[in-house]
Amino acid sequence: MAVGLPALALVAATVASAAMGAVKLSLGEVLQALMHPASAGDAGVILYTLRLPRVLAAGLAGAGLAATGVLFQGLFRNPLADPFVLGASGGAALGGAVAVFLVPSFSFAGVGAIELLAFVGSLMAMAIVWALARPGGQFAMADMLLAGFAIGTILNAGTAALELRQEVTNPAVRILAAWLHGEVTVPSWPQLALVAAVELAVIVLALPLARRLNALALSEEYAAQLGVRVERLQILVVVAGSVLTALAVSLGGLIGFVGLLVPHFLRLILGPDHFRLLPAAALSGAAFLIVADTIARTAFAPTEIPVGMLTAFLGGPAFLYLLSRSKRRA
Amino acid sequence: MSGILEFRNVDFAYSERRIFERLSFAVDRGEMMALMGPNGAGKTTLLRLAAALLNPSAGEIVLEGRAAGEWKRQQIARRVALVPQELEIPFAFRVEEIVAQGRLPHLGFFGGLARNDVDAIERAMESVGVLQLRHRIFAELSGGERQRVKIAIGLAQQPELMLLDEPTQHLDIGRQIELMVLLRRLAASGITIVAAIHDLALAREHCSSGVLLIPNAPAIAGSVEELLRPESLERAFGVNRVDLDRYLAAPEVQEEIAPPRKDSHELRRRGFLRGRHNRGAHWNHE
Repeated sequence: MAVGLPALALVAATVASAAMGAVKLSLGEVLQALMHPASAGDAGVILYTLRLPRVLAAGLAGAGLAATGVLFQGLFRNPLADPFVLGASGGAALGGAVAVFLVPSFSFAGVGAIELLAFVGSLMAMAIVWALARPGGQFAMADMLLAGFAIGTILNAGTAALELRQEVTNPAVRILAAWLHGEVTVPSWPQLALVAAVELAVIVLALPLARRLNALALSEEYAAQLGVRVERLQILVVVAGSVLTALAVSLGGLIGFVGLLVPHFLRLILGPDHFRLLPAAALSGAAFLIVADTIARTAFAPTEIPVGMLTAFLGGPAFLYLLSRSKRRA
Repeated sequence: MSGILEFRNVDFAYSERRIFERLSFAVDRGEMMALMGPNGAGKTTLLRLAAALLNPSAGEIVLEGRAAGEWKRQQIARRVALVPQELEIPFAFRVEEIVAQGRLPHLGFFGGLARNDVDAIERAMESVGVLQLRHRIFAELSGGERQRVKIAIGLAQQPELMLLDEPTQHLDIGRQIELMVLLRRLAASGITIVAAIHDLALAREHCSSGVLLIPNAPAIAGSVEELLRPESLERAFGVNRVDLDRYLAAPEVQEEIAPPRKDSHELRRRGFLRGRHNRGAHWNHE
């Protein structure tokens, strides 16, 4: 149940989302084109060059963010930790700003400047936080949170500085603003395949870590007492979460609330076992962001709104509602 | 030899603050040992050292005949269970999910719970009487229930040695006695028990041997009767003889004026408050 239902929802969301857009396709056409890509005609072109890459990008971004939410909430023993607590958003934003303003035409192996620099930026931010938080080698979680906050703030200031140097009329300013609010790109197929492969590998390898996060929930000392090598666990979880977050950011910019809302909602249904939560959150996060992104690109057509804005608008109140419910239960 | 845990001339300090100097004692298999001493004397530190969560700065800690440093973390976790004083869990885990954590040392890196793990979890819950609480949220349990669940986690580890940090803290006298009886049963079943205990009466009643930690002086190890002599207590707890005598004396006269406190009644029944220097009239109400 922990995996079956979210998996079903994900398949349904993918097919339905692929049918919706400026050119409406029937479900039959979508399924036909999926089964027989060679003889699909116009529907196939729309599906394979525009719709599916975008739908899958949204799914992968949502999966990465929600999975990281589970990992970081377990790591910090705090249900309010989200994928951006270690400063990833600041690094990604600065990377995105550098890409948009300084090297807009740069690309590598078919991957655009924004995607690439956002990925590098968020990984670098977390690496700096990590290096700062462990002087003398001791891995202190509270220090990491504080360092993450500080580094995120500094990098955001850098982004603002780059932005303020631009002319108001520069269209790149708008591009950056939309991206900062979370906008899913239409990536190339090789890029999608690479991201999907890395994400899948990281999540599968993180499953044994998730089981140990349950012991960590008791306390660091308790986990050590149960034979867990706590520092190694913490390092591996930070690395896994950093890679997943950076990949998600490269596909969808800064999308808030997914990493918080999806794990929290699932915890109410499945309980707090991180081993069950991790795959369920990845699948549900994917389905959730596909639905959100479909609304973002179709509700106000032909105008698109950044999906991050939508998740904030819908996710904020939903999260408050869940909070009030869980409080009443406790 | 039947020794399961031995401290040999162990020194330990937290940066500047020296906690132990040349501490030596041995625990025999199946024994029930009380760890006593004033606040800050190092009871929790000693338990952490015994579980190899801390390393001594000098001397040696020997676990089942092998230096603690030579064991792998997971091998120790299969032999030694530490039951900590407090357990605050930020998520709404159910009791059986919490107890299942005790199986972690027995699982492979990718492995899940096998049939024998599930059995061990059931037996652990059953032997401390929390089977009917299995679906309850841990954070919502009473103090006594939590204490028993914490012991169940330790039992699920199937340890040879169980270290408990103040297991009777925050419990009423009835739950305290229940808990000590439970620990005695575990000791009788072959699990060696070392428990930090604040309540000297409980230690005297239920434990066979003990270690008394004395600040800035060598600790004393021996039978509980020896350790609880007024001279030792005077040194360990820094109380003067008169106050100690008052504490150890029974409130015979006071009882006629005020209804007896439940615990003082219980303590007297077990002969603790009889005292050698009975000055009943001086019983102090705090």
